[in-house]
Amino acid sequence: MSNLARLSWLLLLLNVIPGAIWAHAVVTDNTLKIDPVQAGQAKKITLTFNSQVELALSHFDLVKKGDLRERLDIAPGPKQGQVIVNLPPLLTGEHAIQLKVFAADGHLTEDLIRFFVVD
Amino acid sequence: MEGLADFLDSLIGGVDFVMFCALIGGLIWVHTILRPWQTTHHYSKALLDNTTQLIYYGTIGLAITQAFALLLKVWLMAATLQQWPFPAFAGTLQFQAGLARLLLVIVLAYFIKLRLTDNPQSHELWKTAAWGAVPIIIAGAWLTHGAGRFDYRLLLMTSTVIHQVAAACWVGGIFQLLVVWHTHRQGQAAFTLWPAVLRQFSKVGLTAVAVLALTGLPMAINFIDSINGLIGSGYGNLLMVKLMLLGLALAMAYLNRKGTLEFFQQQRSTLAFREVPNFIQAETFVLVSLVFTAVSLATQPPAIDIPDTTASWQEVIATFKPRVPMVISPTHEELMAGEAGRTAIIGQVPSRAMTDWSDYNHNMAGIFVAAAALLSLAGYFRTNSLSPRWPLVLAALGLFLFIRSDPETWPMGPIGFWESTLNSGEILQHRIATLLAFFMGVMEYRARSQQQANPKLIYLFPFLAAFGGLMLLTHSHVGFQPKTAFLIQAGHTLMGFFAIILACARWLELKLSDPAQQRIAGIIAGIAMLQIGMILMFYQEPLY
Repeated sequence: MSNLARLSWLLLLLNVIPGAIWAHAVVTDNTLKIDPVQAGQAKKITLTFNSQVELALSHFDLVKKGDLRERLDIAPGPKQGQVIVNLPPLLTGEHAIQLKVFAADGHLTEDLIRFFVVD
Repeated sequence: MEGLADFLDSLIGGVDFVMFCALIGGLIWVHTILRPWQTTHHYSKALLDNTTQLIYYGTIGLAITQAFALLLKVWLMAATLQQWPFPAFAGTLQFQAGLARLLLVIVLAYFIKLRLTDNPQSHELWKTAAWGAVPIIIAGAWLTHGAGRFDYRLLLMTSTVIHQVAAACWVGGIFQLLVVWHTHRQGQAAFTLWPAVLRQFSKVGLTAVAVLALTGLPMAINFIDSINGLIGSGYGNLLMVKLMLLGLALAMAYLNRKGTLEFFQQQRSTLAFREVPNFIQAETFVLVSLVFTAVSLATQPPAIDIPDTTASWQEVIATFKPRVPMVISPTHEELMAGEAGRTAIIGQVPSRAMTDWSDYNHNMAGIFVAAAALLSLAGYFRTNSLSPRWPLVLAALGLFLFIRSDPETWPMGPIGFWESTLNSGEILQHRIATLLAFFMGVMEYRARSQQQANPKLIYLFPFLAAFGGLMLLTHSHVGFQPKTAFLIQAGHTLMGFFAIILACARWLELKLSDPAQQRIAGIIAGIAMLQIGMILMFYQEPLY
């Protein structure tokens, strides 16, 4: 096999191995921006990351008044990089989602999304 | 222990890539420059042994850092997530690719030790080693930003891999040049070998730089989509520092080339044999810093992904705007009164006292550093009794920072010394910086005093300055408030850049032969230190 052929083979290999490792994860969009949370109603929100995150190695905590924390249920979203977060019924006021996500490139990233629950 | 794990995690990537450069760059060196299998070359056994050994040590080093990186990841996850990461971590491609890479490197190290060290003139064995390195290079493609993109993924991954190999070619080649010089100084290399390899490496190095530019440009365009993205994001900021370091490295490379051309065109060996080795040593400082900056860049989210948290160029400029330094600090009581509100997530209240406290610390530190720099510079223009004592100002700075830098911890606050140091990456870095400033000051003062016993002590300062620079360049995180974190980071990375200049210039001042050039290098070192002082003096922390 010539060197050129070997190089071509390697470049092909680059393309066919499944791309499961991704870059540093940050939230680029979330449905809270267009669809606020109503008081007393459970809600599914969608967070869109710029890359894949390992859900089994990620924590999403709800932060309530007094900085009380509650672990949230999460599920993979319909598109690449999306995560569905299940919010329980909440009281009116300021809340936050604190994320600790393990990006598939091996970086642990922390982030905080603040939001208001409205009547 | 989360802080310690976090700190080590931020450094291990740079060490890993330096080892990668020693391995891959070494193999490229052997195949393009040394070519020991050609019978026309009569290399000494010492040279071939030293060359092979460096590549072997690079391979072993890569295996160790790769293993350590995996262990650190487990440690960091356990500490941060408060859960044992297995078996979930074992199922990630990150773990599998890391483990596979580790095994490949171990196999290659074993091959080099077993076969190549005894037969460094065998073309077949070198070819096998090169092919053995290819999967190690490819494995790196899945650890890049490019792999995470949804668009142009293959192009970006391929660009990054080629970019890494070009960088390894340059950095690893510089390491090998140092090996040739070392062998030459031991009298175990032909006189003409040194200028010959300098000339050959000049061409290879230029090619590597061209490839770096060609592959770096599409990545920069893809990841940064605006001027604010370049100036006002961590990614853009580190890219600019990387470009400035690249400029510095190219300036060193130009001086090396000038010396080489002088040797061949004018048959003068003055520069090539007297000064070029020193320039190469200084270039090594810059290139290693460049590697660490590049690795740090890879931990940043691309600017294109964070338009909402990118600072405007006006905000960035404002952080460097000259102003009267803050020389009056809030009291500790005032500071602590605002801490509960500042650190709260819900109902957060920004603390003016904390911002003022931090501004005071930085501005006063700037006055210390600028005073040390001015004293040092004064010594180049006029003999006086104070100038040789400038390192003591740095030692005093270390003491000042130790007391003031983290007011919520010992000795001022309620949190214990070890508890705070080991659990917060930021506090750990402050402690190291404090110790570094003190140690640098004391050691440099001792080295400059007439009674100092060890003449090699004088070389410690450039290494410590470079380490300080690396710390400033590598530790950057996007935390809960990315824009605030970035505005804090921007000043620190610029100081890191000047710390590297300080290290290189001081090194050259010590090593160059010509007193006039020594003086110029010393003045550059002083000016770099003064710049660090100025940045600190005018530092303004965003209110948060």
